[in-house]
Amino acid sequence: MEDESHNNTLPNGFNTGSPESPFLKTSTTTTQHNKEQDRFLPIANVGRIMKKVIPPNGKISKDAKETVQECVSEFISFVTGEASDKCQREKRKTINGDDVIWAITTLGFEDYVEPLKTYLQKYKEIEGEKLSIPKQMRSEQRLQQHHNNYHDQNNQPFNGAYASSNLISQPPYVPTDQKFSLTFSPNSIQSQLRQQDQIDSVGHWYE
Amino acid sequence: MVMADEEENGVSIQLEFPKGRVKKIMALDKDVKRVSSEALFLVSRSTELFLQFLAEKSAQVAIEKKRKTVNLEHIRVAVKRHQPTRDFLLDELPPPSQAAKPDKPTQPAGRPKLDPAPRGTRCIDQFFRKPEPENTAQAPGQPPENPAQAQSPENPDQDQAQSPVPVDES
Repeated sequence: MEDESHNNTLPNGFNTGSPESPFLKTSTTTTQHNKEQDRFLPIANVGRIMKKVIPPNGKISKDAKETVQECVSEFISFVTGEASDKCQREKRKTINGDDVIWAITTLGFEDYVEPLKTYLQKYKEIEGEKLSIPKQMRSEQRLQQHHNNYHDQNNQPFNGAYASSNLISQPPYVPTDQKFSLTFSPNSIQSQLRQQDQIDSVGHWYE
Repeated sequence: MVMADEEENGVSIQLEFPKGRVKKIMALDKDVKRVSSEALFLVSRSTELFLQFLAEKSAQVAIEKKRKTVNLEHIRVAVKRHQPTRDFLLDELPPPSQAAKPDKPTQPAGRPKLDPAPRGTRCIDQFFRKPEPENTAQAPGQPPENPAQAQSPENPDQDQAQSPVPVDES
């Protein structure tokens, strides 16, 4: 329930005018815990992923989970900062996939680049398919989210786009000039620009 | 439909982390204006890869030290063994002195200050130079002091309970 509430506050968190940064330190443990949750990934997700890679009989102490929770949140800020710096140098306002991959490489995590490109291809394939039946997909995604299963990546972009368009005059998904692009970027741009049932087009770009 | 897609691809593209939370963390950086869905997806996935990497290495350290429970010290050792990770995380971890490790008195003094200036990486020291009330455009939105302070009250008790025997890093 708390996670849903935080998801609903997307507009505030995404609005650069007045982003909520609750760093005030209070003596109340509950209040502090709630505010910490705003800037950390859910510890349940962190713990679940950690359990997948440790030995079956292994355990994880609570402070270890909390520390890793902070580490991965710091990783997001680190990558975001690097990608954002690159955008500013190139006078662009929207962080795109190329910026993230460049940041990952610059920060020394080259091993992640190939897996990320593979996942991105599959992401675009499914994105193209789902655009053909958006209503059905959205209802299914809401069901998944309601059952606290995996958070489908398709539901969030819709919410994000809708919320952003209300707060910011320009839609966040409009691409700007890029000085360079990898082979998969035009596909994404085409998909975002058309916003139509263009499975053939997506397939064409892929092949 | 979603399940069928997963089976066909053989690789699930379901994200483990809620995208709203990832986006919120990204937006803590005042310089971040807009993020495409593609970038958000890539950041979420790379964070999963990083978490898996960190958990694997920490588990290896725990095994080396004959432990079944992964604790804070194992994470610290795992972070130190990977140069890119220690570059941005070492200062984030609670100092050993607060973790009640009397057998390592030289750790705080000997902490290396690595500056990745050649790659133009943002220096982690910026967190310490700028106070919280003054959120300038250059300062990231996540001061590392808070996590350290939040962590310190609990660490001694838990570390003592879970690691009664002193653990050597080497």
